[in-house]
Amino acid sequence: MMGRKVKGTAIQSSVGEKIFTVLNYTFFIVLCLVMLYPFWHVIMVSLSSPSQALRGGIFLLPKDFTFSTYVSVFQSKDIYSGFYTTIFVSVIGTVLGTFLTALTAYPLSKDRLRGGKVLMFLVLFTMIFNAGMIPNYLLIKNIGLYDNRFALILPLLVSAYNCIIMKSFFRSIPESLEESARIDGANDMRIFFSIILPLSKATIATIALFTAVMYWNDYLSTVLYIQSSDKWSLQAVLRNMLTNTQQAMQSAGVNVRAQQNTNAETIKAANIVVATLPILIIYPFVQKYFVKGVMIGGVKG
Amino acid sequence: MSVREKSAIAPKNSYWRQMGKDILRDKWLYLLVLPGILFFIIFKYIPMIDLRIAFMNYNPFAPDKSTWVGFAQFEALFTKPAFLKVLRNTLVISISKMIIGFPIPIILALLMNEMRNIRFKKVAQTLLYLPYFISWVILAGIIMNFLDPSNGLITGIIKAVSGKDIQVLTSKTAFVPMLIISDLYKGMGWGTIIYFAALSGVDPQLYEAAAIDGAKRFRQLLHITLPAIMPTIIIMLILNMNNILNAGFDQIFMLYSAPVYDVADIIDTYVYRIGIQKTDYSFTTAAGLFKSVIALILIVSVNFLAKKTGNEGIW
Repeated sequence: MMGRKVKGTAIQSSVGEKIFTVLNYTFFIVLCLVMLYPFWHVIMVSLSSPSQALRGGIFLLPKDFTFSTYVSVFQSKDIYSGFYTTIFVSVIGTVLGTFLTALTAYPLSKDRLRGGKVLMFLVLFTMIFNAGMIPNYLLIKNIGLYDNRFALILPLLVSAYNCIIMKSFFRSIPESLEESARIDGANDMRIFFSIILPLSKATIATIALFTAVMYWNDYLSTVLYIQSSDKWSLQAVLRNMLTNTQQAMQSAGVNVRAQQNTNAETIKAANIVVATLPILIIYPFVQKYFVKGVMIGGVKG
Repeated sequence: MSVREKSAIAPKNSYWRQMGKDILRDKWLYLLVLPGILFFIIFKYIPMIDLRIAFMNYNPFAPDKSTWVGFAQFEALFTKPAFLKVLRNTLVISISKMIIGFPIPIILALLMNEMRNIRFKKVAQTLLYLPYFISWVILAGIIMNFLDPSNGLITGIIKAVSGKDIQVLTSKTAFVPMLIISDLYKGMGWGTIIYFAALSGVDPQLYEAAAIDGAKRFRQLLHITLPAIMPTIIIMLILNMNNILNAGFDQIFMLYSAPVYDVADIIDTYVYRIGIQKTDYSFTTAAGLFKSVIALILIVSVNFLAKKTGNEGIW
């Protein structure tokens, strides 16, 4: 794309092209604002006084600025247990899942592996055919994982898609690196751990991030596999607060008398902000890794 | 390779002997791949055994008392008005999402590709990708806030503009368009990225040569950029086929309610309500199996068609 700059200077762009450029930039500025506004709005509602929020009409800035809603949100037990479960699940799931993905993808990237094609098919087929909700649910019940936090982790550990990304990357590593290690007497296991893995840090980071986001946002697994509310994921806790006004008030320790000082609207908004903030803060720094992952996966292996 | 040549001298058993040698040589690789394969077998293939309950009258409380009923559950599927309605809703929602949601990322990617200011482009991309990483629980929370019957911002705007009091979340006409728009909001930015991957592979010299030949930007787009991303467009189209019966469980589950079941209840939400909540396992497993089989047939045949017409398929 660098080369295209040459064109701009070498040949004068026409009036039509100039108009297009202006419109194009304007369009994307508007689009970006549209993307951001919903988050902005919720933050502003959460910072407004409950009575103003109830009245509506908050556009750009909070009305009667107050932090009181956040004070009551952080008094809730549920949000902590939600964070605990989600962090537990995300950390263990990401570490285990990423490692397992790399382990699976490396041998599959070798053409010489006997049966490799069959194994790859086994992996790919899961991408286009799924047993469905009920059989998956029965599996969790049958292996005794029901109402256990590991039911939120294990079924999602490895995805065929991540295996493909990882495999494509391993294929791009020159064979000669491994050859020289082999001459020095290293076996495939050693080569994988001491040569391949250190070379794959960026791709592994990408897979890890995709996996982490998936675990962080997972809601359905809790609904299907978890009964006790103290083991619910953050998303499930949040969902419960959003749909159940009473629940939201109680969990925030708001008794009937105090309701004039607060209300479900601002508590819901504050809960949304609290659950989204970790992603909003980390996202700009790691965004390039997500892009990288798609770029590798896009070059079909 | 010399090992291979040597074994070629002894024709009998040499194939198997060679295979044995290869397997022994790669023993560490097999060991590495084993845990992953076990994972896929336990969590993806063993549940497939339970698909048999679609052909049974399964008794979840006493599985031994279940009886085989052949295709009776599938016959029930297609005679039950409730399921036919759900099937129709699924198709309507997913096809509308596809018709609108498929071309828009392509257009956005092409427009963005015309931007020369790299910095601006990077910032715009970062913002456009953002909603993709936010869960439907959170987005639904925001949507419910915007569409709140009494004080929602959008409810207010609709009222001010049309003078009508439209409750989008419970309106049978407005609910599906809302699904499409919110799906677009979440996915269109991220959808562009795969096309950028394809565009990054275009040789800049092509544009230079075209410019020297006097090709204007639009012609360059038509003759260089578009052909460059065509294979990606086709692959995305194939992958989309697999999703034709996935109208978006998470999104709909978070937003729908009884008043809009008529237009918004899809196969997945139906399976959840009837299967998990009312424990009618056999009927809903049949519904799920029907869905998976259709998806499989679609993706295999579209891939076949793509290859037949000279395009690159997904396998």
